[in-house]
Amino acid sequence: MVVPIGDYVALAAVIFFIGVFGVIVRRNPLIMLMSIELMLNAGNLLLVAFARLWLQNAGQIFAFIVITVAAAEAAIGLAIIVTTFRPERFVDVDDVRSLHG
Amino acid sequence: MSHSLGVTGTYPLVLTLWLLPLLGAIICWAFGPQLRTMSGWLASALVGISFVLAVASWSDATQGAGGTLGAHQPLASWLPGFDFGLLLDPLSLIWTFIITGVGFLIVFYSIGYMDGDRAFARFFAYMSFFVFAMLTLVLSDNFIGLLVGWGLVGLASYFLIGFWFERQSAVAAARKAFVINVVGDVGMMFAIFLIVANVHSINFGAVFAAAPALSAGVLFAICVTLFIGAAAKSAQIPLHTWLPDAMEGPTPVSALIHAATMVTAGVYLVARCAPLWDHSHGAQLLVGGIGAATALVGAILGTAQWDIKRILAYSTMSQIGYMIMGVGVGAYEGGIAHFFAHAFFKAQLFLGAGLIIHALADEQDIRAMGGLRRRMPFAFWVMLTAVLSICGVPGFSGFFSKDAVIYGALQHGHPWVYATDIVTAGITAYYMFRLLFVAFLGEYRGEAAQAHAAAEPAHRPHAPAWIMNAPVAVLIAPSVAIGAVLMFGGENSPWQRFFAPLFGATSSRAIALPPVSEGVTTLLVFITVIIGFAIAWQRYATRSAQADAVARLRRESERMPALLTNLLYFDWLIERLFVRPAQQLGALFGRVLDPHVFDGAVRDLVYWARWLGTLVRSFQTGLVRAYALILVAGAACFIVYYAVAAGVR
Repeated sequence: MVVPIGDYVALAAVIFFIGVFGVIVRRNPLIMLMSIELMLNAGNLLLVAFARLWLQNAGQIFAFIVITVAAAEAAIGLAIIVTTFRPERFVDVDDVRSLHG
Repeated sequence: MSHSLGVTGTYPLVLTLWLLPLLGAIICWAFGPQLRTMSGWLASALVGISFVLAVASWSDATQGAGGTLGAHQPLASWLPGFDFGLLLDPLSLIWTFIITGVGFLIVFYSIGYMDGDRAFARFFAYMSFFVFAMLTLVLSDNFIGLLVGWGLVGLASYFLIGFWFERQSAVAAARKAFVINVVGDVGMMFAIFLIVANVHSINFGAVFAAAPALSAGVLFAICVTLFIGAAAKSAQIPLHTWLPDAMEGPTPVSALIHAATMVTAGVYLVARCAPLWDHSHGAQLLVGGIGAATALVGAILGTAQWDIKRILAYSTMSQIGYMIMGVGVGAYEGGIAHFFAHAFFKAQLFLGAGLIIHALADEQDIRAMGGLRRRMPFAFWVMLTAVLSICGVPGFSGFFSKDAVIYGALQHGHPWVYATDIVTAGITAYYMFRLLFVAFLGEYRGEAAQAHAAAEPAHRPHAPAWIMNAPVAVLIAPSVAIGAVLMFGGENSPWQRFFAPLFGATSSRAIALPPVSEGVTTLLVFITVIIGFAIAWQRYATRSAQADAVARLRRESERMPALLTNLLYFDWLIERLFVRPAQQLGALFGRVLDPHVFDGAVRDLVYWARWLGTLVRSFQTGLVRAYALILVAGAACFIVYYAVAAGVR
């Protein structure tokens, strides 16, 4: 059976907005990082779905690139989080405001 | 294209005599502490060698005729039409003689006068530098070189007036002299602008060749702007007020710069630019009138002074007035003759005054002198011969030169100038004999100063007296006799024949038949001189006046008219008209324009930049989630925009 393209788009939109919601609402940087991953993967889903629809493999290749970038981003993000919050017992991004103007 | 005056060629003598004083200045400046008193001997020797070279180049200076009279040494070429060079012709030769000859005597005299001064070598560096600057002025063959020399002598004068810079009054006098001289420099600069705009050359030869073709208005403007320079340098009213104050400098400086040479630069300028003045009757009238007025004003102010050097300063101003008047109306030989004679007798007067001041431990007030004839007989004879010469007593140098100037005014058709000059001659006799009688006759009135002077020599080493006496003694000869030797015989005198190739015969320029003959002029001048002398004698030299001198002098200084003690209100007027408005304008700018316009603009800019920064900074919360929200909001805006755009399409 062929899943209609509209379903993919709807699913990707749902996942993306869950990610957006997570980044905006949650204060735990680990959860925020996971939410960013959700958004990236929503994008990946759309890339692959449209690549299949229009038979263009470039979209799938892009998806691989996004996955690698996401992996790197997760590694760097986790490192930043660990170094930033090491002295403290809890992790809360609102405590890190040294860049405010 | 050669418009240069003089026979162009290479003249090592001229180059050397020009540069030797500069060498002296550099050596004295660089090695002053090592040379010590040797710097004085070195400086005077180099100036002396310059004088010998000037004598040796006599034949170079008088060679040729008409447009190529004298020696022209090209130096450097700049833009086309702007060639620099040296020109030694009869006119600059006469000035070179005085600058190096009288300059040598005065520099030599300074070895004694400045003995024991802390800045001995610096003084001789400045003096040598002045001689070099003055030679640059008179030897230049173009207007820009002239202006350079003009500025440099002003600078040297500034250095030397303020030589004793610990004295507040000396610094103020130096500054005043410099500022007024710069007013003159600016005037000359505008003259050069006018010349370049109309003639496209700065070379004397080219400018003078083009003079007859210039329109009367342009020529008059050039002459007036040039004369602003001459008036400032030569202390002509109303730019004379710096000269009396300039007496703050050491006395040899007053003798060399403010009597013999620099202040006569204006006379040189007018004589040099004779072809311009010859073609502008208005300029002749103006310069002749101002010269005569200065002669009168200087003489009147000289009668009210008590400081021996200030009396001589006003007398210098008055005598330069004669010279300027002479060259202004067209009696060039007469004006230059008076410069030549004046350089000797005025240098002698100043050096004589220096002898007195030196002996009396810097006392300059003639009221505190008196009776010096017996104490300082040499100084008395020096002053007496110079006074007789400056008053124009027949037979002395001043007689020939002053008569030539005064009669020249009539010959060139200026009867009012002539009358003023004759009156001035009488006043001159009065104030010069007043100086002589008050200082040298009667009883000595300054015991305190004398005691101080007696104690003084023990404290500091003293040069032998002959170093100061010898140059003064040498000066007596020319200041008595040079007139009789050179200027006797009217049209056929050696002086007139010397200048005939440069200015043409006097008779060709003068009006045919003056209403009064030269003999009558001499008689008139002599009568006024006798009157002036008689008044001075009656007031200061009679037996009763000498006996009662202290009380009489005090009464005279108490009853001096306010007009004279305030120096005819020239300083007051300049203060009111220029200095105070300038100060008020400055204060206004400081109060309104600067804080509200210039500073204000910068401050407003800073204010708005800060306001913008505060606004933008408020977005920079540091909260990651806030950034994320802004990102999302931005993205949402894009999405809405494209959705709407797609819907419209």
